[in-house]
This record gives sequence, C-alpha cells and structure tokens, in this order.
Amino acid sequence: MFQILIVDDEYINRCMLREMLVAAGYEDVIEAGDGQSALEMAQEHTPDMVLLDVMMPGLSGLEVAPELKKFSPDCYLPILFITALDDQASLVKCLDAGGDDFISKPFDSVVLIAKIKAHERSRTMSLELAEKNESLFWYRQDVERNHRIVEHIFANAMAESETLDKHFSYYIQPETRFNGDVLLCEKSPVGGAYLFVGDFTGHGLASAIGAIPVAKAFTAMAKKGLAVEEIAAELNKILLEFLPADMFCVACIVEIAPSGTRFTVWNGGLPRLVVRDTLGNIRHKIESRHMPLGILGTHEFERNVEHVDAQEGDRLLVYTDGLMESTHPELGGLGEEGVEKWFSEHCLTSARAFVDLASEYRQGQPATDDITIVLYRCEPFRVINEPDINSVLLVPFKTEMVLTNQHLKHTNVADFIVQKLSNLEGLEAIRSEVFTVITELLNNAIEHGLLKLDSRLKDSSEGFEEYYRLRAERLEQLTMGHVKISLNCEPIQRLLTISVFDSGEGYIAEPVVDLSDDTHGRGLLLLEEFCESVAIEEGGRKTVVTLSF
Amino acid sequence: MTINTAVKNGECWEIQLGEKFDFSVVTDFREAYSDMPASIKEIEVNLTDTLYMDSSALGMLLNMQKVLAGKQLRYVISNCRPAVARILEISRFNKKFDIV
Repeated sequence: MFQILIVDDEYINRCMLREMLVAAGYEDVIEAGDGQSALEMAQEHTPDMVLLDVMMPGLSGLEVAPELKKFSPDCYLPILFITALDDQASLVKCLDAGGDDFISKPFDSVVLIAKIKAHERSRTMSLELAEKNESLFWYRQDVERNHRIVEHIFANAMAESETLDKHFSYYIQPETRFNGDVLLCEKSPVGGAYLFVGDFTGHGLASAIGAIPVAKAFTAMAKKGLAVEEIAAELNKILLEFLPADMFCVACIVEIAPSGTRFTVWNGGLPRLVVRDTLGNIRHKIESRHMPLGILGTHEFERNVEHVDAQEGDRLLVYTDGLMESTHPELGGLGEEGVEKWFSEHCLTSARAFVDLASEYRQGQPATDDITIVLYRCEPFRVINEPDINSVLLVPFKTEMVLTNQHLKHTNVADFIVQKLSNLEGLEAIRSEVFTVITELLNNAIEHGLLKLDSRLKDSSEGFEEYYRLRAERLEQLTMGHVKISLNCEPIQRLLTISVFDSGEGYIAEPVVDLSDDTHGRGLLLLEEFCESVAIEEGGRKTVVTLSF
Repeated sequence: MTINTAVKNGECWEIQLGEKFDFSVVTDFREAYSDMPASIKEIEVNLTDTLYMDSSALGMLLNMQKVLAGKQLRYVISNCRPAVARILEISRFNKKFDIV
C-alpha cells in the first residue's frame, strides 16, 4: 500500500493532513514530530512519499531532506515541503535541498490531493523501472554466466589437436566471440589424418553450440578409422537431429593417407579445395558436390566422395567463404579465383599469409564473416610419426604359437594375431598390411600344405567354388597336422618378421603368369610387394617374411 | 551377413563389403550377385568399410566376372582405403575394373 510519512512538529498540522489523506483513500499514513525521528521512521518503514515541514526545532526540513533522499538512491522518493513561506529565495532553498514540490499552509485539500496523486504516479513508475532494471541486471548476469559455461564446454570440445599443430598451418578468425567456423583434426589409426572444416550458418553462441556434438562425433569416428562418407553421413544425421530447420553446416571432410599424397574428400558447400604443386601450378580443384550437413534426410543424403592424388611437396588449401568474401573497395569481392590466383602466384607457406593478404585487400575494412584457413604440405606421416626413442619404451617382442587342426578350423586366427600385434608401438599403422600378409601365409600353409588343394582348380568359375567347397570339407575332416607361427618385432629397426611353418609335405607356388586373368597366384605377389623380404625354406614348408613399419 | 546389396540409380547393383573381405565370405559374396534384376548394367563393389583384404578376395572378384561373362556389364570398385587400393594396384586390377 502507498505509504506517506508526515513530518511536522505541530500536532494540529499532522492531524489535518492525515484526515485529508485518509479521506482521499491514502490510509497508510505514519507521522513524525521532529527531523530525527523522521529519519528513523523513514529508515524503518521506507515510505513512498514524505510531507516535510521546513521549520522544526532540532533538525530542520532542509537538513532532513537530503538524508531522506539518500535512503532511496535508485528510486524516486517524492518530498513535498510543508511551508508558509512564499518568498522566492526560501522556495529555491527547498528545491536545492532535494524537495520536489510544496504544500502551502493553510492546506487546500483539493490542491494537496492533486499534487500527491501526481507524485504518486512518478513514484510508481520509478518503482517499476527499478524493478525492471534489477531483473535486467540479473538477466544479464545469467546470460554472461551461460556464455561462460558454453565457452568452457566449447573450449573443451575443440581441444587443441596435436596432429593439427604438427602437420598443418591454420588460422581461425572469429567474427564474434563464438566462432561459427569449426576446424577439427584427428590422427587416423592407419597413420594418416582426418580433417573437418565447417562453417555453421550464423555466428555466435547458437552456431558454437552446434559445433559441440559435431566435434565429439568426428573425433570418435576418426579414431576408429571410419571412411569419410560414413563420417559425413553420421554427422549429417546428428545435425539433422540437433539443429533447428533454418540452421545447417557447410562442411568438408578430408582423409589424408599416411603417404600424405592421397586425399579422400567429401565437400558439402565449402569453397573448392585446391592442390598446388611446387611450381605454382594448380593440380586439382575439388568442387563442392553436396548439400551442407544437416539438411537432407538420411535416405536422400549423398555419400559419394572424391579421391585425389598429389605429390610430395604439393600443398592443399582448405578455407571457409569468409576469405573469398573479402571485398576491395574498388576491385570488389576476391572470389575463389582470387584466392587461387594468390595461392598459385605467391609462395604462401602459412595460413597467416593469406589472412594478411586478405586484410590488405580489404584496405582496412573489417572482415564480415568468420575466416578459417588450413594449409597442408604433402609429406608422409610415417616419417613425422617416427616415435620419440626417448619417450616410448621400445622393447623387442617375440612370440610363437602352434595351431593344431582344431584351432585352424576357426576362420578368425588371423584376426587374433593382428589384434595382438596392433598393440605394439608402430604396428597399428600397418594393421591392414599385416592382416593381408598373415592371411596369405596362413592360407598357403593350410590350403596347400595341410589340405593339398591345387590352385589351378580356381581357374574356372565352377572350379573356384569347388575349391572353397573342398577347403571347407577337408578342413572339417582334418585330424592331423599343425601350423607354427613365429612373430618377431624389432621396434628400433622397425622390422616385423613373420615365419609360418606347416607340417605338410612341402609346396612351391607357381609364379603368376597373366596378372589380369588367373584367379590364383596373386598371394605370393602381394607378399613380395608388402614385405622387405620373402624366403621360402624347408622345401616350401616354411615361409619367412619381413615387414618394415 | 557382412555383405549388403542394393540397386542404385536403377541400373547399378551395389555390393557393399564389411570390414573383412577374405575367404570367409566366399559364399556370401557368390550369393551377392546371384540374383540381380535384369535391368542391371553395372556392378559396383563398394569397399568403403573394408580394412582387411587378402588374395582370395581378388579371386572372388575375378570369378564374379567369369560367372557373369555372358552379360555386358561395367565393373566398378569404389571407395578403397589406402591398403586395399594398394592390393588392387599391385594386382593390376585397374585393367578389369574401374577403380573409383
């Protein structure tokens, strides 16, 4: 309820004022007989308005007014002076002391109530404003806090990638505090790397939030070594679920082979990727062939990727449209052609160099969009991945296993060995090759050594099926014989020696004559290509190969 | 079964292999092209998921061409991972298949 404090040393005045106020509906009225008790009451009750006598014993109204105002620094507290004075100088003094209006003695009820109503309106408005200011203040605190939380999560999700720092030159320029651009990089289990360059619609908090699930899923899939198209399809699915319909992510996913010279690319809406040779010629342009991520449903999503071969020393450039949208006051937009001209004509070895050129091109104007640039110089990852002799314990590893006919009936003996070997430092990167080599050796030992199958049977299509039918049949009936496998890993020389011995009668494979036609004989060729050395010993019963890694 | 098949663009029979393409899938692979619609003009062997392969897989691929020799088909091997691409390259498979 609207509360009014009357301060007057004369009882009769307080009574008259109270009666007029109550009659007008202001029932919450409190009274003080002098300045000191007025201040005490104001502090205790926080009234909405004060009617203050100017001349009182002790503290005068002029002294009390500024003190009263201090109780309400953020909000308008109307003070109406009760006075019989009407000379100009006295009235000015009252206003200077903080008074807002005057009530002249003798009191006129109509004028008094009209004035009170006017100041009541101001007081009410001021209270509402103070309340809104306060909630705005809390709201801002809340937004600020939310920003800090998201910033923290974002920073963790975008954890710095060692692979990125080691092999790529890159630059990310956010146009606002949160970046709509996303750059992710992860080592692939086969020894190469995966790269994700994305640009969410819009900037700021909203786009940063979309980046978080993408970053987590991308990293997990890259670590598993999934194919680029699988990663693209999965990220599309995630964004379709997460993002509102008007938001999507222009993106490009690149897998770089361990050689550093073969790229598998899925490009959905990013400016075309460019590969430049050491002389400055543009070797490849990899255009965007797809809709951005987060638009198409799973069934209509296009997974096809492009494979591009480069040579050692070439450079791959990936960038978001912020760079090509750089605008010169007279020459206009830079465009993809402009970026490629720079790339071709200048020997730009760092992403930063592009940013500097772009800022020069804009002639001092700020960038209008986030800019992300990644530059990669093609070189084998294996060389760079050389383990640090001092940090990794490089212990030689040697093992031997004897597989009886019971073990050989399982088709996944090779899986078992590859899985064990993959735990050794450096071997994870060549697990596909190790699988091929072990399978070849094992199949030779089983099919020719123990089961005495003749490869020539495979030359006709009927024979091909017959061969594998016989293989299954004879293996099932096998009651004797064994295969001995020895593995020897020398991590310092980076050599893996595999020896496979079978208890059969010995068998020498015929070399393959016509590569494009014979359905058999390729096993030995693969061994020779994958291994540093292949030796057939003990009349064909034992094969020893050495792989380097 | 680790092998999936589907008709793509009405004329292409897509055979998608699993993580392993070795003799353990001989029967599955044979069945994968035994019952194709007549409209098929192209077979695409999609190796996007294939990490492990051996020479018996090469035999299976060539045998498929022998079995289907009567039909005028285009043969494509797609999305090879580097180790698999190398196996195909060593064996000069580009002479019999379009490797994309």
